[in-house]
Amino acid sequence: MKRIWRATVVAVAAFTVAACTNTTTPAGGTATDDIKIGTLLDITSWDPAQADIGFDGPYLSAVYDPLISLDKDSKAVPGLAKAWKYSADRLTLTLDLRTGVKFSDGQPFDAAAAVQNLQHLKAGVRSGQTYANVTDIKKVDADTVSLHLKKKDDALLYYMGLGRSWMASPAAIKTKSLATQPVGSGPYTYDKGKSAPGSEYVFAKKSGHWDDKTYPFGTVHVQPIADPTASFNAMRSGQLDVAYANAADIPRAKGAGWNVASDVATWVGIQFTDRTGKQFKPLGDIRVRRAINHAFDGAAMLKSVGQNAGVATNQMFPAGRPVYDKALNGRYPFDLDKAKKLMAEAGYPDGFKVTMPMSSIFQPWQPSVQQTLGKLGIKVKWKNLSPADYQKNAATFPMFVAVLALDSNAAASVDGRITSQQWFNPNPSTKDFPKVHDLVGKVEAATGEAQLPLIRELNEEITDQAWQDVWYQANNTYFSNKGIKVTPITGMMFPTLRFVQRG
Amino acid sequence: MIRFTIRRLLSGVVLLLVVTSATFFLAHLAIGDPTAGLLGNNATPDQRAALHEQLGLDRPLITQFWDWFSHAVRGDFGTSWRNFQPVSDQIALRVPVTLSVVLAATLLAAVVGLAVGIATGLRPDGILARVLKVASVVLFALPGFWVSLVLVMTFAVRLKWFPAVGYVPLTQSPSAWLSSITLPSVALALAAIVMIAEQLRNGFMEVTKQDFVRTLRARGLSSRRVTTHVLRNASPAALTVLAVMFVGLLGGAIVVEIIFNLPGIGSLTQSAAQIGDIPILLGLTAVTVVFVVLVNFLLDLVLGWINPKVRES
Repeated sequence: MKRIWRATVVAVAAFTVAACTNTTTPAGGTATDDIKIGTLLDITSWDPAQADIGFDGPYLSAVYDPLISLDKDSKAVPGLAKAWKYSADRLTLTLDLRTGVKFSDGQPFDAAAAVQNLQHLKAGVRSGQTYANVTDIKKVDADTVSLHLKKKDDALLYYMGLGRSWMASPAAIKTKSLATQPVGSGPYTYDKGKSAPGSEYVFAKKSGHWDDKTYPFGTVHVQPIADPTASFNAMRSGQLDVAYANAADIPRAKGAGWNVASDVATWVGIQFTDRTGKQFKPLGDIRVRRAINHAFDGAAMLKSVGQNAGVATNQMFPAGRPVYDKALNGRYPFDLDKAKKLMAEAGYPDGFKVTMPMSSIFQPWQPSVQQTLGKLGIKVKWKNLSPADYQKNAATFPMFVAVLALDSNAAASVDGRITSQQWFNPNPSTKDFPKVHDLVGKVEAATGEAQLPLIRELNEEITDQAWQDVWYQANNTYFSNKGIKVTPITGMMFPTLRFVQRG
Repeated sequence: MIRFTIRRLLSGVVLLLVVTSATFFLAHLAIGDPTAGLLGNNATPDQRAALHEQLGLDRPLITQFWDWFSHAVRGDFGTSWRNFQPVSDQIALRVPVTLSVVLAATLLAAVVGLAVGIATGLRPDGILARVLKVASVVLFALPGFWVSLVLVMTFAVRLKWFPAVGYVPLTQSPSAWLSSITLPSVALALAAIVMIAEQLRNGFMEVTKQDFVRTLRARGLSSRRVTTHVLRNASPAALTVLAVMFVGLLGGAIVVEIIFNLPGIGSLTQSAAQIGDIPILLGLTAVTVVFVVLVNFLLDLVLGWINPKVRES
């Protein structure tokens, strides 16, 4: 008996000692040249044509250079394209390329490589939409390419900078090996031997990179951590220097002396899919849409469900950006009496019945929606869907609870959120609203800075039309150790490495 | 023994067929068209239609099933709808992680459970037996995620003995591998330890009352040899529990993998279910069923070896 006990004790002790020999790695960034970044999701694909913009940024920006980058204000800045110029009719975009750049397999980056990459991106399942208006891509000379468009596209440079112009080795594109093995010209090389796919990706800095100063860290570790508690614990145990954070942890993060960076990333509210009343008569009446806007207390929703991490607003243009108008936030103050009056005026004093979709992701808002609409007499019948099915079917209902990504570029917001058909906006119906239609036409006719006042006017008009019922814009939050600064970029769910700096 | 082995293997194959077929049809029924989830917010209807066709979702469901099944029997589970990589490659990356944790937890549960079970079986009224009774109630009552969080807070955040999250492959660094799987394994093993120890203790108490034990003692055998005989007779129940625990731990690993951020099959199942990646879900189901069949098959063999009556039944 004693021998069994002795053997057990010895085995457990040996196990513990062996396991503890490699204790937690010290926090890197501040003390060493390493930086350990915790993001929310694993990389979708190393192939830029199959990757997502959202959370793939830190991975892809380590190994690939983009043709065009964005600065902290989401303005297009040079990447492998040193400069660019639009033709007078804005239907040709000519890119002047950087010379002397090589991919990690030794292949040169030149106009031929850029053309091959752009064609690959245009054909890509996930990247293709960025180049939907591009009809032809041509090599002009050894370091110049031109993109020919079927119609003016004011969002093209923004989307390219957001993560749709990563350049990969033409040889790797040809052999279709990119999905598992990235071959780029980026500031780091992927160290497959030190990485554990799904758990940690290690990138070693390349010497002599053309944009060396933008990337101050010697080794970058990126860990996908889906659980916010796990991510927070990893920060606390010193395993991470930067973490994608849960806003509920902000007070504790501040207590720990970490840097906290936040910016709006999504709008939360109710999306109307039919504003004309063709499919669901009540929503075709502006008074009903306005009543719903008045009935919800966005600030209270932000506080109770959104952990107060965001901006209470009824606009879908990101807060703090040029188009956003603070004065418009007073357009639909929380006023149940006014809401009821509007419903009565519209001929619905006792409300109406509506079926809305629901899935586990949106359940935090479900009781508020049920209660608030109930106060207007609107009886909601919920149709439960799986999260995967929600995106497919939500827009087949007249209205649904939505959390939709924001774009920091105003022209991209107009195209992606108002005028073009999207899964969440199957009936843009701008033509049915003369003033909206007129303003959209003016926006599309203008370019650059001249667009902004027009988009501001459009924002005012769609707010007035109660185009949707926005309760608030929710933040994305990032924690970082002292000495490391993260700059959030609206449009990127996790910013690319150029936005993770010392400071 | 050969007939016994063939019978068990055939029932395993039938189970595999039934479970994977049911998963295929249920998953398609529940998830429907996954293209919107796969392409994200900005996808246009045209893009979704193109992906729909690319994934072969425009074909009749029965055709899709036969296509999947005819490839799966040859070990080809198709490609993931998320990253278009072979399902088998992704599962091959994930299986070692889950197996590392589950095998370590099983080993830990077997060694410690065996020791505690024997000790408490020999002294059913001793202090250890009382501690075991309390521990079995407490550890069953406490949720696994809470136990995991307490371990993380204590040994990773405060003491910094182990990492809070992450996995290091064995081939990269054996000591770092051991370090990365220790807390998850302990979290998984704790409930299993008390369950095995309880089973063994009960078995011990039952067997020690039997006539043959009294005879053995009367013949003057040393207490060690008597204990060996008792253990042999008391162990089948504990072994069955161990095998059931192994299968249960495979399922329980999903919570532990999320808390410790381990890239195993549990977290892959969760992410695949969220976005509706049916090929991954089907591959994972097939692999899990194979594990369950194999473990039960091995258990049957061991039980048959220990007790010939099992073979005859």
